[in-house]
Amino acid sequence: MSGIGKWLQERIPISGVQIQELTNEPVPNHLKRWWFALGGTPAYLFVVQIVTGILLAFYYQPAASTAFESVRYITEEATFGWYLRSLHKWAATLMIASVILHQMRVYFTSAYRQPRELNWVIGMALLMCTLLTGFTGYSLVFEQLSYWGATVAANISDAVPVVGRFSKQMLLAGDSYNERTLSRFYILHAAVLPTTIIILVAVHIAFIRMHGVTELKFEDEPEDKPQHFNFFPDHILTELMIGLTLMIVLSALATIFPASKGPKANPMITPEVIKPEWFFYVSFRWLKLFSLTFAVLSTGFIVSAMFLWPWIDKVLRKVTGNEDISVYIGIIATFLLVGLTVWEAAVAH
Amino acid sequence: MKESPEADPSEKIETSKQERQPVVDEDRRGFLGSAAVASMLGGLAVGYGAFASHAIRFLYPANVGESIWQFVCTLDQLKINESMPFTMPSGAKIVVARQAEGETADAFIALSSICPHLGCKVHWEAANDRFFCPCHNGAFDAQGAPTEGPPASANQYLMRYPLSVDRNLLLIEVPVDAVNVSNAGETA
Repeated sequence: MSGIGKWLQERIPISGVQIQELTNEPVPNHLKRWWFALGGTPAYLFVVQIVTGILLAFYYQPAASTAFESVRYITEEATFGWYLRSLHKWAATLMIASVILHQMRVYFTSAYRQPRELNWVIGMALLMCTLLTGFTGYSLVFEQLSYWGATVAANISDAVPVVGRFSKQMLLAGDSYNERTLSRFYILHAAVLPTTIIILVAVHIAFIRMHGVTELKFEDEPEDKPQHFNFFPDHILTELMIGLTLMIVLSALATIFPASKGPKANPMITPEVIKPEWFFYVSFRWLKLFSLTFAVLSTGFIVSAMFLWPWIDKVLRKVTGNEDISVYIGIIATFLLVGLTVWEAAVAH
Repeated sequence: MKESPEADPSEKIETSKQERQPVVDEDRRGFLGSAAVASMLGGLAVGYGAFASHAIRFLYPANVGESIWQFVCTLDQLKINESMPFTMPSGAKIVVARQAEGETADAFIALSSICPHLGCKVHWEAANDRFFCPCHNGAFDAQGAPTEGPPASANQYLMRYPLSVDRNLLLIEVPVDAVNVSNAGETA
């Protein structure tokens, strides 16, 4: 062992073999298919978000009078600012998409069932945190749609019974968007939500390690083939490949479709065509279809049902005697989700 | 339990005292230990609870719902069916109109341009003779009554700013907390 190696070994008394033993857990064969590695994708993108977010924070100024100008400076003047901002934007988009896809995979393979119910709840909390981070991040740009999106969202929370008004005032630092609102979005976006996500991801991974990955069998797999492979280095290599591919895809998207910016927020004029970010199209269309009270209460009901789905699924299977009842419900929900999103995307009003 | 007649009662008491002594000590120690732990935990809970309460009160906006009364015009400056623009502290422009004769606030109307559905700004569509909210397709007539969209379903009117008359002066109550247009309103 070299001098440096010895010095390190003495101060960090752990060997490569010990690390391998600690991390090595047999990984079921189905994880060789990339769509089963979708859980690692948002984790990788989250790291991209932290790195690019810290860099953007060097220039961003969270105040109504300076925010838009600082975003303009980042985009137009800071060296590679346009690239870093575009990476941040596209990584957010892909992160939300991959979290949704990961959740759909878990749902349709019933991987949330006993004993993994609590990890599904943690995953749902992660989905909510990711959506909130996306929302607060979009608000920071302080363009017209940022401002009006935040106003609409705050007023939606106002319609929630009992705690609505309080949560709106806490979010906006007042009854309406004011000079102290943007700093709240900033601290939520850059500190509170990322910290919460890190803690939840740690618990999520701890649960996966405790229960192991759900074993799925495929008909085309021969019986005599080994059922598992090593986490280290085999699965790590798969994740590295996904990471590399993602970096190429992100870089390409950021270069070909760089993050743009609309007109600066104007509290006096709501734009004629107003849309939130794509992942809120469903809620936006829902709000157009129904009264505010019904839309808010039904959304709350659906989200609560999603949190409690492992137990609802159990009751449904018992009552109907159909093991796949949740799959059918999931297919209908997916059609509804995609249908409402496309509808909102296709029309101006 | 019956005592044997041969046993000396004083000796018996002495023995039982000796037997009981350590038990009493242990009980006392255990109780004091538990009490100490409980009071420490209680102290921590109260301390952190007080801190959490202060933190929430710190985060809760201090001047929420604050409003002021501002001068609009003298009563004789507005004739019936006439209107005049008024600029709010936030920079928003609204219209104050006289609807009837009289020297009370009821004769006037000051409509908010904020949609009661989700807080977007409505604008006047002269061609359709209505206020329109582009967020969720809400529409209102000239008096602020809902005619279409979610506000019509929920029967939500455009808010009217409170008006009052004081010694021939028309006053309007307006919120003070809003993004200042001079800072944020210019279009890039």
